[in-house]
Amino acid sequence: MSRLTIAIPSKGRLKEQTEEWLASLGHPLRQIGGERGYTAEIEGLDAEVRLLSAREIAQGLIEGSLHFGVTGEDLLNDLAPDGADDFRVLKRLGFGGADVVVAVPQAWFDVDSMADLEAAGAAFRKAHGRRLRVATKYLRITRRFFAQKSVGEYRLVESAGATEAAPSTGTADVIVDITTTGATLKANGLKVLRDGVILESEAAFTQSVRAEFSPGAQAAANALVGAFARSDHNF
Amino acid sequence: MNHDALVAVARAVFEAAGGTPIDPDYVLPADIPLELSGEAVRARLCVFTDNRGAEMAMRPDLTLPVAQREAARLEAGASAKTYTYAARAFRLPAAADDPFEFTQVGLERFGYAADPAADAELFALVHRAVEACGVQPKSIVTGDLAIFPAFIDALSLPAVTTDLLKRAFRQEGGVRAVLDEAARPLDTDVLAALDAADPEAALGAVLAARDVPLVGARSLAEIVEGLRARRVAIDAGGLPEAARAALLALRDVDCPLAEAPGTLGALAKTHGLTGADAALGAFAARVEKIIALVPGARRTAEFRAGFGRRFTYYDGFVFEVLAEGLSPAQPVAAGGRYDGLIAGLSSGRVSATGVGGVVRPDRMVRVRRTGA
Repeated sequence: MSRLTIAIPSKGRLKEQTEEWLASLGHPLRQIGGERGYTAEIEGLDAEVRLLSAREIAQGLIEGSLHFGVTGEDLLNDLAPDGADDFRVLKRLGFGGADVVVAVPQAWFDVDSMADLEAAGAAFRKAHGRRLRVATKYLRITRRFFAQKSVGEYRLVESAGATEAAPSTGTADVIVDITTTGATLKANGLKVLRDGVILESEAAFTQSVRAEFSPGAQAAANALVGAFARSDHNF
Repeated sequence: MNHDALVAVARAVFEAAGGTPIDPDYVLPADIPLELSGEAVRARLCVFTDNRGAEMAMRPDLTLPVAQREAARLEAGASAKTYTYAARAFRLPAAADDPFEFTQVGLERFGYAADPAADAELFALVHRAVEACGVQPKSIVTGDLAIFPAFIDALSLPAVTTDLLKRAFRQEGGVRAVLDEAARPLDTDVLAALDAADPEAALGAVLAARDVPLVGARSLAEIVEGLRARRVAIDAGGLPEAARAALLALRDVDCPLAEAPGTLGALAKTHGLTGADAALGAFAARVEKIIALVPGARRTAEFRAGFGRRFTYYDGFVFEVLAEGLSPAQPVAAGGRYDGLIAGLSSGRVSATGVGGVVRPDRMVRVRRTGA
């Protein structure tokens, strides 16, 4: 990886908004091999540009197989074994915003806060002989947040998709999931706990702290960050 | 002495104290540690999935599988015993120089009287095993997981608050996270349902009126129970300032073990907690016996009120022995009391007192190398 390597999301709104952002900085993206290609060029930069899933980008930044990337802070925080020390956010981009939240059934009138959830979890364990189940794809974030809030009475269930349906299908009682408007949660009979917002996530232009920079890659990185700083005064 | 020689020396010390050698199952259903101790232990647990998709774990210590076997024996009508072992355990490393697998040499004693003398004898035995391996303890950290609950009980708070504080003490965020949560009022229609002749039916009507579905495994009866507990806490007006001051003062106690009975006694007196006298009496008797059996502990042992609160299944005396050249997160020996473990593993069908302790020959090899 002697050449500067940058990754941006390969599809969807996140990709479009990243392209708009790059274009606004005067460095438009040109995809190689048309819309279906998985590599690209950023005009005016000596860099290899990969189109990857947001999860792969977060993983690559943490491991050090990418120098820079645009991905969600939710994924960065969840995939990083040591938390925020494992990556460096250079700029939060103001799009792709969503909150990672703890949600419980609306019918739980006795549970409004994490402390209430702890009490409900302890009573549940006594009544059912097992722990309350929390469905999520954010295993690390959830574990850290629950520990910080002194909530220990739960078990994690890894969810591959449609996490919000877990309580109604019976695979879990509580969920930790990403939400923008809360409409999906509400439609599934769930509510967000008062102190249950774990992370206010945005798409972020991020640098790897583990990737090694060859002299050439370092020069390209300096040019990139310099050019971004000139075009964007908030950079 | 190399690693295996230290294993043999430590093993001889434990076997001389009596007990049946045991090497139980390496692989446990992950449910056993996770249901018993919660998700907090997952960070150190070596977990894998079997061919049917069930989560399994490599034994993280010997206490758990030995106690699991003992629980099964007791359920079959046998009487409690003492076991010794020199066996492999597996944990995800917490530091770069931590190994994935290591040998623990130790002893687990079930069914003896849970008194200060039994705690002190276990402590002395583990201390002897460390010294027999040619390692001098640099410092020994001790705690007592029964002291904090005794103080909370002595505060005469509503049961719901008492239980919440006791559980919070054992979690990473500690009691602070719970103390900072003020009690908030409940909706009036929900409160009215609690006072109805049939609260469950009334709450069901509130759900229907609000067009809220009942999802998840908690029943209306459980939600009513939770609401009643909330109301008791609200009526009590949260945690009184005096109780908060007492708990925060206790949390900060950190002194030489020999001075701890005096320090804790003075603290209980200052805050008027006469209800903690029995626990403090047992504590003082244990300290006296420990110093009688291991005079060096007067110099090396300290007491910290919050120590061991994250050791998931321990519920009384706990200790760790530290040595020169290793970090405080890498004790050469550790042990304590877990009177609730057998009951927890058997879902309350049987119970037996338990104490146990282990030494880590792999770490003692490193200490001896540094010292040479």
